[in-house]
Amino acid sequence: MREYIGKGALRHDGIEKVTGQAEYLGDIKLNGMLYAKIKTSPYAHAQIVSIDTSKAEALPGVRAVLTGRDENVMVGLYMVDRWAMAAEKTRYYGEVVAAVAADTQEIADRAAELIEIEYMPLPPVLDVREAVKASSPQVHENSEVYDYIKGVFHPEPGRNIANRTKVRKGDVDAAFLRADVVIEHTYEQPQVFHLPLEPHGTIVQWGAGDKVKIHTSAQSPFAVRDLFAHGFQLPRSKVEVNVPYVGGGFGGKAGIHMEPLVGMLSKRCGGRPVKLIPTREEECATFPCRQGLVARVKTGATKDGKIIAEEVEYLWDGGAYADYGVNISRAGAVTACGPYDIENVKVDSVTVYTNKIFGTAYRGFGHPEVFFGIERQRDLLAKELGMCPVELRLKNLLMPGAHTITGELITEHTGRVDKCLKMVAEKLNVGQDYTPEEKAEFQKTGKYRAKAAAVLQKSPAMPTWSASSAVVHMNEDGTVHITVGGVDFGQGTYTVLQQIAAERLQIPIEKIVMAPGVNTDMSPYDWQTVASRMTVLCGNAVCEACDDLTEQLLEMGSIVLRASKHEVALGDECVYVKQNPQYSMPYSKICMGYTYENGNAIGGPIIGRGKSIAQGLTNLDPETGQGKTALDWTYGAHAIEIEVDTHTGDIRVVDMASCLDVGRVMNEAMVHGQMIGGVLQGLGTTFSEAVYYDGEGRLLTRNLTDYKIATFKDMPEKLEICCVETPQLDGPYGARGIGEHPLIAITAVIANALANATGAEMYDLPLSADRVRAALAKE
Amino acid sequence: MRQIHLTVNNEKYQVYCPEHITLLTLLREHLHLTGTKEGCAAGECGACTVIFNGKAANACMVLAPEANGAVVETIEGEAKDGVLSPLQQSFIEHHALQCGFCTPGMIMSARALLDANPAPTRDEIKEAMEGNLCRCTGYEPIITAIEQAAGGERGA
Amino acid sequence: MYQFLSPKTIGEAKEHLAEKSNLKVLAGGTDLIIGLRDGAVHCDYIMDIKHIPELCEIGMTDDGLEVGAGVSLNAMLASGLCTGRYAALADSGHELANSLLRNRATLAGNICHASPGGDMLAPVLVLDAWVETLTPNGGRKIPLKDFFTGVKRHVLAADEMVVKTVFPRGDGTSAYHKKKRIRGHDLAQVGVAGSYAADGTLKLAFGAAGPTPVLIELGVFDPLALRAAREEILDKAMSGISPISDVRASKEHRLAMARYLAGDVLDALLEKVGV
Repeated sequence: MREYIGKGALRHDGIEKVTGQAEYLGDIKLNGMLYAKIKTSPYAHAQIVSIDTSKAEALPGVRAVLTGRDENVMVGLYMVDRWAMAAEKTRYYGEVVAAVAADTQEIADRAAELIEIEYMPLPPVLDVREAVKASSPQVHENSEVYDYIKGVFHPEPGRNIANRTKVRKGDVDAAFLRADVVIEHTYEQPQVFHLPLEPHGTIVQWGAGDKVKIHTSAQSPFAVRDLFAHGFQLPRSKVEVNVPYVGGGFGGKAGIHMEPLVGMLSKRCGGRPVKLIPTREEECATFPCRQGLVARVKTGATKDGKIIAEEVEYLWDGGAYADYGVNISRAGAVTACGPYDIENVKVDSVTVYTNKIFGTAYRGFGHPEVFFGIERQRDLLAKELGMCPVELRLKNLLMPGAHTITGELITEHTGRVDKCLKMVAEKLNVGQDYTPEEKAEFQKTGKYRAKAAAVLQKSPAMPTWSASSAVVHMNEDGTVHITVGGVDFGQGTYTVLQQIAAERLQIPIEKIVMAPGVNTDMSPYDWQTVASRMTVLCGNAVCEACDDLTEQLLEMGSIVLRASKHEVALGDECVYVKQNPQYSMPYSKICMGYTYENGNAIGGPIIGRGKSIAQGLTNLDPETGQGKTALDWTYGAHAIEIEVDTHTGDIRVVDMASCLDVGRVMNEAMVHGQMIGGVLQGLGTTFSEAVYYDGEGRLLTRNLTDYKIATFKDMPEKLEICCVETPQLDGPYGARGIGEHPLIAITAVIANALANATGAEMYDLPLSADRVRAALAKE
Repeated sequence: MRQIHLTVNNEKYQVYCPEHITLLTLLREHLHLTGTKEGCAAGECGACTVIFNGKAANACMVLAPEANGAVVETIEGEAKDGVLSPLQQSFIEHHALQCGFCTPGMIMSARALLDANPAPTRDEIKEAMEGNLCRCTGYEPIITAIEQAAGGERGA
Repeated sequence: MYQFLSPKTIGEAKEHLAEKSNLKVLAGGTDLIIGLRDGAVHCDYIMDIKHIPELCEIGMTDDGLEVGAGVSLNAMLASGLCTGRYAALADSGHELANSLLRNRATLAGNICHASPGGDMLAPVLVLDAWVETLTPNGGRKIPLKDFFTGVKRHVLAADEMVVKTVFPRGDGTSAYHKKKRIRGHDLAQVGVAGSYAADGTLKLAFGAAGPTPVLIELGVFDPLALRAAREEILDKAMSGISPISDVRASKEHRLAMARYLAGDVLDALLEKVGV
């Protein structure tokens, strides 16, 4: 047996990517292709009084000018509340109001400038705490007519509330009365940009007979097909979605984006393909971002450090549309108190409409936001109790036999958050005090060091019926092609699937090829490439497909070798007779059918098919939130040492250790790659990343000059990656998802270390030097 | 429209293009060399890095007419006769890429660095590569890949 | 849309300046090209000056350090001339944008863009630099302390261009320190340059602390007096600046960091002179 799982393999697409051959959406050119430009709203909230497109239409080379009043369509993944273009009013700065298709990009750009729109500004709703009040102006006046997934989401029409998910466990009121210590804090986080290096490009060709071909930079080709077809009332069979190489997504390319708008432009242009490549400024202003969050957390504990009650209110700043982001309030409710065993819990998690960029899935899907408050709260509670924060956590963590706040039983196979915490805490000696000499040095320099640790958890947030499938084709020479419906936009899923197939089929990995890209006419179905679900669900589908292929090889082999099926086995890319291995038949002789000497042939091309669907998940009870939502829980922990310059507010990451219970390391270098990358993204969110608006709701952070992500110079000075492996019994080879998890709780662990270093307790993000210095000044 | 003569990856080109486009557009739209990527068109991300007259530069920050008479190297010229350069090989071996969109620019920046400084320190790598953003890898594997490639190229 | 001009000599450039109106000079282009793209700059001509040999020279002359308008910042840094009295140019050169952009960006371009946060502006003020210009009628010498008139505004006439920046000779030292949101490439939240001449003349200048870079001439100090007067000097310097709040920093942070960096710069200058 050769081992393909563990140490792993090199990326399946490395050569294409290092040579520039990998074709991304922007690199595609089609015959007769036109270029699109969007015209966006300069107001956060305004009535559209009039639109004059005559000058734009008169410009030579312009093929179509479209406004929301000409033609429109409403889309949304969970909550169908978003028009392709604003028609009556605009709900955020950057919202699309009109669009143009023209012979060249220059003409399209010029034509968009020539569209004249008269607005009547309305008061913008910018603060979730105000927006959630019944007295607030409405972002959506008639939200009661919106379609949504009933029984899963609970909108409150007439108010700016797109969903409220409740969790009720035990009796919090009684428990708070019983508690020795009760603390309550409110934590606040701004919106954040995804910032994939590649923008959301799209080409749509709406051909004759309503046959639509979409090329798009998307994480979820089948969701694009589904939502597009649903929106325009087309049969799924008439919509083809092709996804080439995708330059990063981080959740922002899940769901559906500009495909409907570009489709309408193409239809207007007689079916010519139309390409839209947003500018970086449009990426920032028009496309969705990560939601902001205001979190109020009240915690009650006994004096020996047992948490007995927690009451949480999450107000998610959903922005102008709930579309996909509405599920974040549900995910946030399920994970509301972190990986802790708490008897009495009350959670209200609410998606609030505001006149800001709308929110969508972002790596971690609500968890990085929730864990800022929860893991800050744990340290603050420990301080209140005079306990070591690591000890406090260990006393309360979910252990086998405990139940989550939604009633899921934790077993010995669920994963071990306690091991992750202990591992990172030991690596950095969290809790060990500095020497008097070191402390004297801190005082002298004004640069104070401190350490902290925090834990994290996440399970995929997805519909209970979320499914994957895979097809494994054997080629004439015994090499193998695998097609799946999920996308590898960098995370490495395809390489892991390749490894799984090599392991399962015992065929050298070089002979296993992942079909690049996804085409919904040719690839098998997958719900969406999100939620760190691919290794588990698509991995299981590939296992099943390989087993199906194996069965067929054995069957053909047994016929050709004149043996019963139980008498033959597979090895060295051959079917052989167990008792007499010299009687064998290479795969290449049977995988397209076997031909006897006289020309008779039997069998035919061997194709394995596999599928998987999340097992045993339930919707949450609408009143109590009880139910099973987790396909798999991945737990983890970070420990950190920082140095705070008290003169400037600058924070330097001196040392760091991150650990996840990955179930099984499938590909060591890729696990490390996900974790190092995720940690740095988390550091960006901690220190510099925040979406800012002016008082009228106009976006201020409009490009990469205004909005700063981490560079080579912003790496932590030391970062150790480690893994715990508690196998997930229904995961392929014991694996569970890890793509999103590394950036969860980073913000909290740094804020906790900051408090330990300086006494400055920060309750909001980012921890920019500006804000840290201001907090220190208050101390 | 303007006639521009330039050398790209050792091949001579003569192009007619509008005067106001950038070298990035010239390469991608007129020469169909789409390996060079556009990430921001404002000199902030480095996805369009090419080697322009021997120095790494953002192709979006060079006007096409400035390229008249210039010698440009792009990612398409990095592999020779179908064989990956040690730098490209090292990027693959050290998992220095994920989504791959920043990779051509990263490799061209690293190439310019190694051409000028065959044995860069970690800090020199960071200094030279600071203008190339990557949202996926956390940069660490890229540094390793460049260090290892430098060692390999020196050894060769 | 513009026409692209590429003069090979000063004479040709002069003719263009005389004959063509609404002309923009292209040096490194790292600001100009963004302006063109954003629609903030409209012009009929763009004149690339990098093919004029004299403008691509850097060196020491009788006047001092002369940096041609076409010299990239990385070329300036690599010249080895940004030391001693001119050390602030090395500090700020390394702080400006990132190495990729510095292969294109120029000192003259940064000066003529006249953005109040331009990293090279505070250093040129404390080093008493001037620019020499070319106009259809000849040219002039403009001390940079008289150059900046507002946000992205300066005293150059429409038919005038900078040909070089000159830093007078002198002994002494200088430094530039900068605060930004991240460790990597970012515009300055605030930048402070200081120069301490051999005769004891002390100057500080601030970037991103008002609509123009601000030069504060502080008089003459011997090193010990300078050390003793540190807080007084900082008080005086601070009274000259008026920063605003924006996405990069609050006004309060800018004020605090201006003082902190100014102190840091003074300490660095003292350290350099061995006190």
